[in-house]
Amino acid sequence: MRLLRAPDRAAREDAGDAHGQAEPAAGASSELALSVRGLSTVYETGGATVHAVRDVSFDLRPTERLGIVGESGSGKSALALSILGLIEAPGRVLDGEIVLGGRDIARLSDRQLGAVRGKEIALVLQDPSTALDPVKTIGAQIVEAIAVHEPQLRRAAARKRAADLLREVDISHAERRLDDYPHQYSGGMRQRVAIAIAIANNPSVLIADEPTTALDVTTQAQVLALLDRLVDEHRTAVILITHNLGIVSDFCDSVAVMYAGRLVETSGVDHIFLAPGHPYSEALLKCVPNPERLTEGPLPAITGFPPDLSSLPTGCSFAPRCPIGRELAECHERTPQPHRVSGPAGEATVECHFAEQRIREVRV
Amino acid sequence: MSIGSGPLTIGAENAAVLRPAEGGGPAGAGGPAGAGVSAGARRALRTVLADRKLAVPVIVIALMLLFAIFGPIVWNHDPDAQNLLGSLQSPSLSHPLGTDQLGRDVLARVADGARISLLVATLVTIAGGLVGGLIGLLAGTVGGASDGVVMRLMDAILAFPPLILAMAVTVGLGVGLDTAAVGVSLVSVPWYARLLRSEALRIRSLPFIEAAHAMGATRGRILARHVVPHMLPVLFIQMAAAFGYAVLALAALSFVGLGAQVPTPEWGAMITEGLSYSLTGQWWISICPGVALLITVTAVSMLSDRLRDLLDPRGQYARL
Amino acid sequence: MARVIGLRLLGSIGAVFGATILAFVIMRLLPGNPARLILGPLATQHAVNSLSQQIGLGRPIYVQYWRYISDFFQGNWGYSYSDGETVKKLIVERAPATIELALFSFVFTMLSAVALALLATYSHRPVTDRIVRGASYIGFGTPPFFLALLLLIFFFKTFHLLPGPEGRLGVQATPPPKVTGLYTLDALLAGQLGTFWEAFKHLLLPSLALGIASWSFLVRLLRANLLEVSREPFITVARGKGLRRWTAFRRHALPNAFLPTLTAGGLVLGEFLAGSVLIERVFNWPGIGSLVFEAIIKQDYAIVQTFILLSAVMFVLVNLIVDLLYAVIDPRVRIPTVATA
Repeated sequence: MRLLRAPDRAAREDAGDAHGQAEPAAGASSELALSVRGLSTVYETGGATVHAVRDVSFDLRPTERLGIVGESGSGKSALALSILGLIEAPGRVLDGEIVLGGRDIARLSDRQLGAVRGKEIALVLQDPSTALDPVKTIGAQIVEAIAVHEPQLRRAAARKRAADLLREVDISHAERRLDDYPHQYSGGMRQRVAIAIAIANNPSVLIADEPTTALDVTTQAQVLALLDRLVDEHRTAVILITHNLGIVSDFCDSVAVMYAGRLVETSGVDHIFLAPGHPYSEALLKCVPNPERLTEGPLPAITGFPPDLSSLPTGCSFAPRCPIGRELAECHERTPQPHRVSGPAGEATVECHFAEQRIREVRV
Repeated sequence: MSIGSGPLTIGAENAAVLRPAEGGGPAGAGGPAGAGVSAGARRALRTVLADRKLAVPVIVIALMLLFAIFGPIVWNHDPDAQNLLGSLQSPSLSHPLGTDQLGRDVLARVADGARISLLVATLVTIAGGLVGGLIGLLAGTVGGASDGVVMRLMDAILAFPPLILAMAVTVGLGVGLDTAAVGVSLVSVPWYARLLRSEALRIRSLPFIEAAHAMGATRGRILARHVVPHMLPVLFIQMAAAFGYAVLALAALSFVGLGAQVPTPEWGAMITEGLSYSLTGQWWISICPGVALLITVTAVSMLSDRLRDLLDPRGQYARL
Repeated sequence: MARVIGLRLLGSIGAVFGATILAFVIMRLLPGNPARLILGPLATQHAVNSLSQQIGLGRPIYVQYWRYISDFFQGNWGYSYSDGETVKKLIVERAPATIELALFSFVFTMLSAVALALLATYSHRPVTDRIVRGASYIGFGTPPFFLALLLLIFFFKTFHLLPGPEGRLGVQATPPPKVTGLYTLDALLAGQLGTFWEAFKHLLLPSLALGIASWSFLVRLLRANLLEVSREPFITVARGKGLRRWTAFRRHALPNAFLPTLTAGGLVLGEFLAGSVLIERVFNWPGIGSLVFEAIIKQDYAIVQTFILLSAVMFVLVNLIVDLLYAVIDPRVRIPTVATA
């Protein structure tokens, strides 16, 4: 079941790129753009320790687009910041390996990371109205992104690059608009500037944390289309964090579902819509309004509340809300480990005791 | 878990501090309804004590209050009794804080001074808060011409550095602690007026007021039941901060001779009396009231800051 | 923008007039003949009569008020009977002492407040933050005149590190040739390094005492602003570009935090004006503050009245300048937001 089908994505698929699978297809390059293993981050406030990211692992191939979905408070933003090493006190990254372009950046000092951020891996944040310094010109802020990594670049040259970037993100009268301030731009334009800043140095990985959530629907579509084109042209791998499954189905090749700090399901994007392995993924899908199911009754919701990340229950963190596991002792006692399962639309990694069973049921 | 609606959502633990009368303390965590006030009060006390930043200043202020109330009773030396033969004595067992240049017991004077400072500052704060609050409320809710006129008057007061206007008032009305009190109250009124006016304006335009209107509530009822209760925390914070300032201002006015007159044992006046002796060795005459002043105002300002943290963490309300 | 400035200007003028009315009302509340009060108990009846006529006593109140403010704005500030000089002369004579003290204190206060607020926010260590906050609480709770006393006892009486309450230079030294009236500057200009050092040493303690209230306020304000700004997403974005912590902080957090702190400028002036009356006396500092202090004691109301009005005018002026400055510096105010596609 696909929610939306954008012609571009279908075109990319037909072009033969085998992105729809969690496993690299035979013959595809095994050089990963980004590989995360066992990343864990906590926030230590007052008496409570909040486990925002718990033992997260995933791979990202060059030009692959991974969508990370989850509710608010699931740890998505913390994950993004952890990868970039931008977690500030009282948070800290406990453990984990982050291999970017062949080396483990988790071990790097802040100074060393400075050479990596903005150059090999870049960030786009959610709210365009607070993502730009209000007292500096747009031009200055774009030039800054360039000059950090190319300090010897002359002012005029940097300015020209900045103007080119503005044109690339479809902002007209680029030269003139370099001297404007953020409050003179609309929300959509500001987000495009944020994207320009992110791709300024041609990073191999782009992390976009809910880049369209704060925009109205029309602008959302524009920005997404822009992003789509840019990452194609620059051959950038993308991690798109969102809670909007529609965007995921349009834009992404693979998807990871995040719940209570863990990635409970990772698979190709087709797989999750056809045969969600984890009960949470399934529930999420059911929550999306679907005109075809209008007659089925009220829109289902997931009962209960997201767990308190400072006092997590033993066993599966979804168990208290899980239609399957709610009553089962096994789910409350044993923490599910990632299972590799094969479904009707490819492979998936699911953290559920009943993953195999559920996939098999769908097949049948 | 939080209690409260709209802009006043505060943590359950913190809510208990301010509404101990709500029988049983925080909703859902209390005992039987019949346990009532005392259980709530005890819970409130425990909450206050648990928060160190709140507990320390509260304890200090409580001690100072006890000192002010019971000090002169327990230590019943006459603060005005002169004894020239026993003047300028350094602290000893019979005079724990020494005696001043006229042989008066400094401890008795400091205790008396505590009564004076705290009492007058309280009166000043309440007066300023009431007057300023009402003005602000009226300006914010009635609006129109009266709003304009009243706020111009406030601007005229605000055109002066506060202490200087207070000085002018005491000079104009005749020196004394009472006129000093009037002066300090007057000076604080615009702060309250401005603050509560903007609060009233803000609350008026909140959706739930509109909802109440739509359900047919009269203006008076909306005012009394919805607007005013929401303004109280802000008023409260401001008064806490203003109290510290009042103590300081009264002492300053007394220091320059415009407030409490000799031989009133007001802390500021005492400092001025002992000034020349401080550098010739008899430090206790000025230092003791000064330290009392310091302790009191520091504790009050810590308390008011902490209250602001708890009730207005986003700093959306004005700062003094 | 011009409209905003114009309105603001009008508001300030209105505030000054309002202030003069308020001062007029308050001073006229004094019991007794205002002329007599100004001239003092020793003046002759003839003098009192002529002054009464001059200030319009017996005429309608608005005439009196008009004479009152036109006298003030023309610089006709009256005569101090206790000092035997025109008020204007006295004030002009003693102004440099207070100005020098205020300038010194201001620089001192600003630098240390900024440094400490930065330290408290940037270091991310709760201990430093707590110490700075504690210091600011204690600073606020210590009245300037008490701090002055404490400083003298500690630095002068006990440890003999700094000079005592002997004014700007002490009895021994002679002031440098007058250029600006500021001893430090004049001494430097005349090459008298010894005098400069003396003047400097005498300025230290009074500056500290004068600035303490403003310092506490500024530290708290700056710290709050810095904290708030550091949490803004654009700081994260700046770091995401590859900027180091300090660079991102310096380039993006500081300017945004300092901007709203500008508005505290007026309050600082207010504290200084009032503070000078309180502490100059403690240090025997021959400035306007001690002039006013003595005038209060001697009930020499001409001086007091003039000081009050001058303070109001200066206060309003500084607040106006600060607001205008803000409008110029902050691009959001300077360039209005126009909806663009």
